[in-house]
Formats: sequence, C-alpha cells, structure tokens
Amino acid sequence: MYLEVKNLVKFFDSKYPIIKDLSFSVKKGELISFLGESGSGKTTFLKCISGLEKINSGTITLNSKYLNKNNIFVKPQERKIGFVFQDYPLFPHLNLEENITFNLEKKYYSKLEYILKLTGLKYFLKRFPHELSGGEQQRACIARALIREPELLLLDEPFSNLDSTIKESMKEEIFKIVKETNTTTILVTHDINDAMNISDKILIFKAGILQQYDNPVKMYCEPANCYCAEILGDMNKLFIGNETYYVRPENIKHVNKKSNYKVSVEKCFFQGKEYRIKGRFDNEIWHFFSKKPISEKKHVYVDFAKKDLIYFDPVCKNFFK
Amino acid sequence: MEIIHRFFAIENKRWVFGSVIFAIILLAPVIILIINFFSGTTDTLLYLLDNLLFDYTLNTLYLILITSITALFLGIIPAWIISNYTFFGRNFFDIVLYLPLAIPSYIMGFTYIDILSYTGPIQSFFREKSPFFAEIINRDYLQVEILGILLGLALYPYIYTASRISFSLIGSNYINISRNLGLSKIQTFFKVILPLSRPAIFSGLFLVIMEVLNEYGAVKYFGVNTFTIGIFRSWNSFGDVNGAIQLACILLLVVLCFFAIDRFSMRKSKFYYQKNTQLNKVKGLGGSRALMVILICSIPFLFGFLIPFSFILNNTIESFAITNFDKLFRLTNNTIYVSSLSSIIIIFIALFFLFVERISNSKINSYVSSLISLGYALPGAIIGLGVILLFSNSSLLGTFYVLIFAYLIRFLAVAKSPIKSSIDKHPITIDDTGRNLGLNPLNLLRRLHLPINKFALISAFVVTFIDVMKELPITLILSPFNFDTLATQTYQFAIEEMIPLSAIYSLVIITLGSLMLLILRSFIDKQINVS
Repeated sequence: MYLEVKNLVKFFDSKYPIIKDLSFSVKKGELISFLGESGSGKTTFLKCISGLEKINSGTITLNSKYLNKNNIFVKPQERKIGFVFQDYPLFPHLNLEENITFNLEKKYYSKLEYILKLTGLKYFLKRFPHELSGGEQQRACIARALIREPELLLLDEPFSNLDSTIKESMKEEIFKIVKETNTTTILVTHDINDAMNISDKILIFKAGILQQYDNPVKMYCEPANCYCAEILGDMNKLFIGNETYYVRPENIKHVNKKSNYKVSVEKCFFQGKEYRIKGRFDNEIWHFFSKKPISEKKHVYVDFAKKDLIYFDPVCKNFFK
Repeated sequence: MEIIHRFFAIENKRWVFGSVIFAIILLAPVIILIINFFSGTTDTLLYLLDNLLFDYTLNTLYLILITSITALFLGIIPAWIISNYTFFGRNFFDIVLYLPLAIPSYIMGFTYIDILSYTGPIQSFFREKSPFFAEIINRDYLQVEILGILLGLALYPYIYTASRISFSLIGSNYINISRNLGLSKIQTFFKVILPLSRPAIFSGLFLVIMEVLNEYGAVKYFGVNTFTIGIFRSWNSFGDVNGAIQLACILLLVVLCFFAIDRFSMRKSKFYYQKNTQLNKVKGLGGSRALMVILICSIPFLFGFLIPFSFILNNTIESFAITNFDKLFRLTNNTIYVSSLSSIIIIFIALFFLFVERISNSKINSYVSSLISLGYALPGAIIGLGVILLFSNSSLLGTFYVLIFAYLIRFLAVAKSPIKSSIDKHPITIDDTGRNLGLNPLNLLRRLHLPINKFALISAFVVTFIDVMKELPITLILSPFNFDTLATQTYQFAIEEMIPLSAIYSLVIITLGSLMLLILRSFIDKQINVS
C-alpha cells in the first residue's frame, strides 16, 4: 500500500483522545474522502499525517518510508506532502508566482507553466492574494502544493469557503487535476455530496474511531452502522416483529394497490424532477419520492423490495447519541 | 513523570528554552530587588511606614485620579465625535489629536508653569491691561491639581487612540439595534457604546496610570511627593539605598495591584465583535453643531500641543542667539543614536518572543510573554535601581549596554503590542503552510514573519523610539558618564529655572516625536489598506 496508517492515536488531553485508534491504507493515485462532523478531529488528523502535529502512538508509512514510528519522526519540512488549508493561506507579501514558487527546488521550476495551465492561473501571475477571488486563491494553493510533486496531497475542506456556483466547477477541476497528475489525495470534508461525487473511497470517522472505509456505492448501499447510514442520506425506520429495520427513501415506491405500508402524507416538496413526500408510518417520519404531487393529509400506499431493508443492532442508534 | 512527558512534548524546545532563559535575564533586576527587600533591615521600612508612606500613597493616588479624569474627558469625547461625525477639519483633528504624545509630560509641566508664572505672557498681559485681574491670577500654580491636569493633557492620546479604534470597530449594527429598541443617542452611548468599549478604554487608562507612576521630571518640579520622588530622594539625597529598595518594592506592589485590576477587568469584559458588523457610517454635521464639535476637538489639541509648542518655539527664537549649537547637535546625535539602537534591539527581541510564543505549543511561552510585558508597568526608577543592584559588581555599570538593557526591560511591551496585533492577524495556517513547504523555524522567521510583519516592525520601531527618546528616570540613573540626551538636558535646565534655555532641546524632542508620529500614522494607514 502507498499510504499506510496503523493504530494512530492522538490526544491533547489523554482523558479525551481525538483519534483513538485509526488504521487504513490508500493505493497510489487514489482520492479518498475523510468524512466527519465539525470538530471531530479531521484537521488534526491531516496535521498528524503532514507532521504538523506529533502523534501519541501508531505508525504512518508513505511510499514505503516511515514518517512516524516509535522514535522515528520525519519533520514536516522533510515530508513530501502537499497541504491545502481550509482558509487558503497565501503569503500576503508575495504575488501569485512568488507564492507558487516559494521555497521551491530548482528542478521543479520547469513544471510551472504546466501547473499554471492546469489550474487556469496563467494570467494572474503578478497579482497579489488580495487581488484574487476565493476560487483563484484556492487554485493557487493547489498549484503551490502540486508543483513540488507531492507524494501525498491533503485537502482540508477545500470547498467550504466557496459559494455554490463555483463549488461544483471547483470539485470537477480538483478531481481532474489530481487524476491527471496521479496524485494520491486525502480530502477532508463534512459535506457528503463532496465525498460522493469525486472520491474513490470514503472514510467515515466518528468518536475518534474509523466507522467505515469503502467505495461510495458500497458505503451507501451497505452502511456498516446506523451512523454511516444516516450520514450518507435519509433513512426510514420500520419495525418487523421485534426488530428495527431501515429503508432508503429512493427505494420506496408509491403504489396504487393496497400494501402493508399505508403512509399519511404531511408535506409535499417540489424538487424539480420529482416531489419529495414527508409522511408518517407507524408513528415514524418517512420520506420517499413521487413523480406526481400528493395532497397533504391524504393516505397513500407504498412498498419496497425486501432486499432493500437494512438492519442494525438496536444498540447502534443509542451508541452514537 | 508528567512534567518530563510534557517537556518532551514541547515543540521547538531549543527556541522555547532560549526564550525562557532570556526572560529570566530580563526579569533579573526585579528579582534582585525583591531579594534585597527581604534581606534588608526593617528599620527603614518602619520609618517609611510611620512618616512618609501615607503621604507618598495619598499624593500618588490623588495625582492618578486627577490625571485619569482629565485624560478620560479629553480622550473619549473627541474620539466619539471623530468616529461618528463628519465636519470641517475632521481629518486634521484625527491626525493632530495624537500629537501631544510627542511632548514629554515633564516638558508640558515646565512649559505651562512658565506660561502661568509672574513673568509669563498671561500675567504680564493682565498686569498691563487689568491690574485687578492680574492680582487674582497671581497664584502659586505648582499645585498637584494643576500637575494632574497637565499630565492629563500630555497623556490623553493613550485613551483617545484606544477609544477611537474601539468606537470605529463597534460598527453600526449595535447602534441600530439599540436605537430600534428605543434608546436615544445619548442612552446608546452610555448603555451600549461605552460598556462595549470598556476594555479598550481601560487599557488606555492603564497606560496613563503607569505613566503617572513613572513620572519623575514634572512631579519633582512641582514638588509633589510621589513614590518615584521618594525613591530618588532616599537614594540620592539621603544615600539610603535600603530605603529606596523598600520604596521601590512597595511601588512594585502598587503597580501589580493596578495590573491585576486591569487584567481582571479585561477578563470580565472581553467582548468579541461579530466580524460582519458593518462599520458605522459617519454623519455630516453643519451649522452651530459643527462649530461646537470643532470647539470640543480643538481644546485637547490647543492646550495639549499648540499652546506649549508655540510657547517653546517662541522661547527658542528668543534664545536663539545664546544657543550652544555644538552641544545641541551633540545631544541630538546622542538621542537619535541611543533611541535608534535601543529600538532596533527591542523590536527584534519582541519579535523573537512573539515568534516563539507562536511556534511553541506550550503554555510556558504565553506566561513568559505576559511576565516580560510587566516591564512597561514598572516605573523607570524601579528598573534603574534593580539594574544597578544587578550590575553593582560589574564593570558594565555606566555603559551603554546597561542603559539599553534597562530600556529593553521597560519598553519591550511597547514594541510587542503592534507586532503582536500584526502576527495575530495572520492565521496559524500561514506558519503551517511555511513548514509544509520546507521551512525550519529560523527560515520561517526570516522568510515569512519578517516580511509579512514589516509594517508592524516599523510601527513598533517608531513607538519605541519616541518612548526611549522621552524617557527620563532611566536615562538619568543609568546613562554613561558625560553622556547627555535631549531629555536629560531639558530636565537639567528646567530644574535650574532656566526654562528658556531648555526650549530648543524641547523643540527638537517634540519635532522628532511629531515627525515620527506622522510617519507612524502613514504606516498604520498602509497596514489597514493592505489588510
């Protein structure tokens, strides 16, 4: 494996570890998303990988070299890791070109034109950071990280400060850039759509522990626990016998004939292509989609295939609360 | 075990260790002073307690009270007007209201006493025009109340600056909300603006109080027995070093009390303004209201700068023929040399401490940083005495090194303030990015923090330069033999009742200080524009 993290532990106060025990690996050229809530320790994790924070125990191996292991600690300036921070910290006293080539080894200067073309920054070279838009600043940070051919690229919430119109295009651009340069990338985000759209794999992190690490489709269809299931999309709860099951809204179909599931409609939201229906079944709130609008307070029948039922241990729900 | 574990967890240990050692060296004079306090005899202390301490304490507190009230009035009201209204001359007042900072308080005192004296222009004028009125105003003006007002005139810019920034930052949202909730403009000022600005006003007031405690030249001239005067008298007149040490330690205790009050009030009222708060739009004023605000803003400028400056200028012209220009150039040269050299050393050491505080993950450095900042609260007499005790057996005493060392203790906090606000403006990710791009701590300092904080370093240089140039007690106590500065020469002429002769030296101090303040102002504008 290209990047291997084993039993990583990180705490500032030993009573409250931020990362309790984290192990996972990444293949060369893969883009993985590290998904977790705000304040869950995602940025701390990236800082541990980059060496900006020291870890308390565990090992980190990159490209067959130990970065952290027992007494081995490779200083941040000696790791070949590119880090793009959330707030795009370009040095205010340097123009774009000077920022990108800051402390750059001579051998990489020949790549400047290629990187500028790739990031679309060719015409802004002499501009200072305050003369660039948010998207341009972000691309500049990515260019600065990529020009030194990092063995690993870390992106910390790169879309959180962008408005929705440029967010989508930036996502596509980043995906294009990292794939074209075959750069192994870890993207930290709290937005599930960011993770689903561009990742080869998603890592869900909660309470200092890895919850699930898989490709987006498998993650969505076969969540490891109810936390992973809920973080990736809405879930409708139902009881069969003494067991609790869940079903995704898109797997529920509005049927014209009688079925076991009669839902009382509470709200109908127009969403362009279809309607999102909020209703109540067996005292639980349900969501599903319909091609046509359904009036409020109406009772309708819905159904789903048995294979779409998801089952979790009953303690799972309470555990994460 | 936990301590050892924590020590090994500290990042950049060498830098942290270096800063701790440096801080201990800087605190050594105060430590020595305290050690001597406990090792000295109690006879002098008992004598002080019985005879002088009450007098010193009362005079000092009374002087602080009058100065503070004057400075608060002269600082807050113009700051509020300039932050909220546009009127003819607003920009002019916004610049010149800082200028009294260029006039050392002892020069302010000497000058006004000369203006108000029997042979001064006011009494001479009225003797000719209205002998009856001349009789009424023929008084002894060397009173503690007059001194308090004059110190207030010299020191109000500290409160003006703090309030001006705070009033500008509060923004219009809070004002609009309070107006919407039914408060009048005056109620809004007292119930919203003043409470929100309390931390800023308090920090300005704290500086004023510390300056009063440090004051030597003016209080000596006015014959007001404060702690600083007591220290000098015990030491120089009575040759009682032990008494001076004990007085210095009591003064240190008083300073620590004020320091604690300041910190406590800051902690209790630390407000965080919302970043998106819109700036308050200044409103236009015309007619009689405009005249009134011009008058209000003119008072501090007129009495705090223009009148003393004009009088000094007049004295300079009158005594021009008998001025020893060789001496003037020599002393100007001495002053610029010692102020520049000290300021350069001080700003780099301030940057070093702030940088270590930033790159270390340990709380040690924030404690170190707070401790060394205490130096500004220590009157020059305490620092001078402590430094003499520290170097009493060393040949370094009486050299520039010791003088600069004492300036360093006293003015490190002055230099730290603009550098700290500049460093804090840059997110920590700037440092992380630098390290991620391959910079070690030294290169981080050299290639990032030096250039991105260059305006702050220049601002720090200017404020430190002005303070060192004006500093009297430390220079009087520690300057090398036969080495005079403009400040010491002005003081010597004044104390020998030769005020007209001191005029040209005062004029050079004020002109240099004013020029520096105008440079500082342009740098502050640049910093604001860049950020």
